[in-house]
Amino acid sequence: MKERILQTSRELRAYALQKGYEISLFYHEEDSYLMRFANSAISLNTNEHLIRLEVQAYSGKKRASYELITDLDHIDEIKQAIDTTAELVQHAQPLNYQPTIPQYSASFEDESSYDPTLAQMSNDEKLQFFNAAVAGLETEEIKLSGIFSCGENIVAMINTRSEHTQFFRTSDAQITTVLAHSQLKWEVSAEQSAQRKSDLNAAALHDDLAFLLARYQQDTPRQIPLGSYDIVFGSAAIAGMLRFMNWIGFNGGAMKRGYSCLSEEKTGQKVLSEKFSLVDDPSRRETFPFKKDYMGIERNPFPIIKDGVFQGFTWYQDDADEFGAQPTGHTVSHNSLVLQSGEQKVASLQELAAMPRQKDVLYIPFLHYMNIVNPSKGVFTGSSRFGALLLKKDGSVEIPYNVRLTQSLLDIFGEKVAWLSQTSEAYNTSASYGARNPSAVITPLFMQVNDLEISHSNASY
Amino acid sequence: MQQEIKKQIERIHALGATYVDARWYPFEETNELFMVNGNLKNTSFSRESGVGVRVLYKGAWGFSASSDLGNLAALFDRALDNARAAAERVTFPIRLAEKDAIQAQFTSPNQINPFEVPLADKVAFLKAMDDQLNQPGVFQRFSGLDFTRKQIVFMDSEGSQIEKLITEVFARLEVSGLDDQGQMHDRAFRLNQNGASSRGWESIDLGLFSQNAERIVEELRQTLVAEPCPKDDRSVILLPGIMYLQTHETIGHPLELDRILGYELAFAGGSFVRLEDFGKLRYGSEKLTARADATLPNSPGSFGYDDDGVICQNNLLIDKGILVGAITGRQMVEEANAKARRQIFDGSGGTNRATAFYRVPIERMTNINIDPGQDGNLEDIIQNTERGIVLDGDRSWSIGSNREQFHFATEMGWLVEDGRRTRVVKNPTYKGDTLKFWNSLSAVGDSSTWEVVFVPNCGKGQPNQIMQLGHGVPVCRFDNVRIGE
Repeated sequence: MKERILQTSRELRAYALQKGYEISLFYHEEDSYLMRFANSAISLNTNEHLIRLEVQAYSGKKRASYELITDLDHIDEIKQAIDTTAELVQHAQPLNYQPTIPQYSASFEDESSYDPTLAQMSNDEKLQFFNAAVAGLETEEIKLSGIFSCGENIVAMINTRSEHTQFFRTSDAQITTVLAHSQLKWEVSAEQSAQRKSDLNAAALHDDLAFLLARYQQDTPRQIPLGSYDIVFGSAAIAGMLRFMNWIGFNGGAMKRGYSCLSEEKTGQKVLSEKFSLVDDPSRRETFPFKKDYMGIERNPFPIIKDGVFQGFTWYQDDADEFGAQPTGHTVSHNSLVLQSGEQKVASLQELAAMPRQKDVLYIPFLHYMNIVNPSKGVFTGSSRFGALLLKKDGSVEIPYNVRLTQSLLDIFGEKVAWLSQTSEAYNTSASYGARNPSAVITPLFMQVNDLEISHSNASY
Repeated sequence: MQQEIKKQIERIHALGATYVDARWYPFEETNELFMVNGNLKNTSFSRESGVGVRVLYKGAWGFSASSDLGNLAALFDRALDNARAAAERVTFPIRLAEKDAIQAQFTSPNQINPFEVPLADKVAFLKAMDDQLNQPGVFQRFSGLDFTRKQIVFMDSEGSQIEKLITEVFARLEVSGLDDQGQMHDRAFRLNQNGASSRGWESIDLGLFSQNAERIVEELRQTLVAEPCPKDDRSVILLPGIMYLQTHETIGHPLELDRILGYELAFAGGSFVRLEDFGKLRYGSEKLTARADATLPNSPGSFGYDDDGVICQNNLLIDKGILVGAITGRQMVEEANAKARRQIFDGSGGTNRATAFYRVPIERMTNINIDPGQDGNLEDIIQNTERGIVLDGDRSWSIGSNREQFHFATEMGWLVEDGRRTRVVKNPTYKGDTLKFWNSLSAVGDSSTWEVVFVPNCGKGQPNQIMQLGHGVPVCRFDNVRIGE
């Protein structure tokens, strides 16, 4: 398959050159499988095999693009798309800067993140995995929901500036298990991200679910008072906040457009807790990394925050072109963010609950429906979900109704950070809007932040 | 192609499937143009075609889709195989509500096909708008056009065949500016309609956009020099530019029947609504009447027939404050009635839609509208408000997982004191609990305040699906609402 994709790419390049076009081709192929569970049944079992091809044409400072869902057999259709794009670009309007056209100095192939046994797991295997993850936990009232999403993702690119190609192939799986009380409406969750089949661990999911379920079945949820809490965030919540930081924090283009809580003057300054070090590390295979970006720039570990000190912005090529910045190898569909772990020895939710503590601690595993309230101040809002706990100082555990946080990322990752766990995990951040694009963030399992206000406390679910 | 699809539907049906349907998209094309500060950042077209096949086997769904139409038999077989696998774990065997076998066609109202308009004309429009937005106080300016045209052929094993040709036009202007503390503020205008006329290229009215470009620049300037929004409890008067989102998030989503039945718990969330609430729950004050109306002449939420092959309808959701209906499709109404052990729903509400040939249909909002009231126009409502704030423009929205509470930030806020607008405030926000909020509805504007706001990007489902719809909403006032957090 790889040879056919690359050979077709070369043929299309030759066609464009013969016609005198300046183009780049971006090929995306996905073979996606999703088994979805609801009400303890498989509510949907689906698969899609789709090939998308994006043609980008350039003419001086003008550019235009055309994307089609196609098949490699439809070579005439693809050539027509190239012709159409070349025609379109003539009618586009020049940019006030010169866009950089990709030019690869060598061909590059990376299939190190591909495991066919994961990508092509059978229906039976997926069902068995799910059954093992929730074995004995479902009842008449406790219903299973979730997804087992897995697939194969191929990205390939070529352009008229050079004969070289880039080819990336990955496999991925994202598993979400949810147990919800059909009448009381609470829900607990456990998730897993896999790049290889050997990453899958149904027993670990079962342990987390069983622990949370026992707590939720033993206690009656209650509304907790508004006010200030010491909060332990789980990896899903941390990953969600890092994703927002990626958007309104250290993205150079967003900063230049005023949508950032950091500025160029902050480079080299301490902006967050000294416990906070963040790096974009494409050597971590769990993040489904790109080791070269779409412009052909080699991607190496890129420190963003080191011991709380801001190291610099990441730049997409187009933003770098527009604002006169140096590209940083971040013209990719996702970064490989790694938040460095800390020193707190806690490796599971069970251990967290058993930790001695001087004050009550609110555990928030997941932040639902996060959104930016004020990008300039880094303020976001979101609600707890999927198994929040109030860990009392006397060692008991209570169940709070969901609460809302409206806070600045600069505060949460700032001086209020108490500790980060030694143990980390890859949290899957893939979204399935449009083309498959597996991504994950490596984050400590837990991070405690002290003295955070909750702005809303539910009186029910 | 239709004959071949029909043959495959019959073949799979004969293999034991209780129901089979296929949606063939001969084409779906899009054209997006996006200008930032005079730079045409995006000039993109796309085109796709393919078939999505849905098979119901022993009470379970299987779905498969492909753009490769060279081997339809294999595609249908995969859908059946997927259904067979799903049938290994069934707790409530899926049944579909009765419907008529329909032979029909639907074309959305449009006069000028936007795909036949020269690119130069579209670029000229954006350039004209960008020039107009390029004024002192404006730091960033954005203008965008987004066109979609798709043909869908629906066929099922019950004898329906429906052909649809749908054209969508979305357009948006936005400006942002920095205040003296370096904080960013935005103001936007998006193309809406009043529920009539059509939505082809003819809806890109230069005069309308020009007028609104001037307005949003002026309103941005007012915000840049405004005082911060106070933090207190007062009446909020929501203009259609935020009232649509309030309706969307706290009436539309919680009343999707698949959410109520727990089918979105793994991702989008559930609903605070329970089956026993229908016919009883006081959702809002008596001034609140809401409906799912897919029969509006012109809105993305009007599409002729849904992807179950059910004709579009106008159904009450909330009648004078009482919950009476939901957003429904063929599968969910059967399950809801059975689980409730009473007949809540008479049949499908015709709201099942898929975003593309490669996604499965699910309950989606149509036009979730609030009926106009009898409390006069906007000025009348302001005059009758002692202490409040007029809010407009969506900036941020976040809703609890069961849609039980929410937090919104808006672009504009005008304080109201003693029956008149006094001053603009910056960074306005408001929050509340859904039922308490709707029960505090104290004024509903008349038809002069009612607008249909288009939504191009409602997200739901796994795999995720983006859907287009509308909300016809009047100006509304709610009392004792916390603002400024």
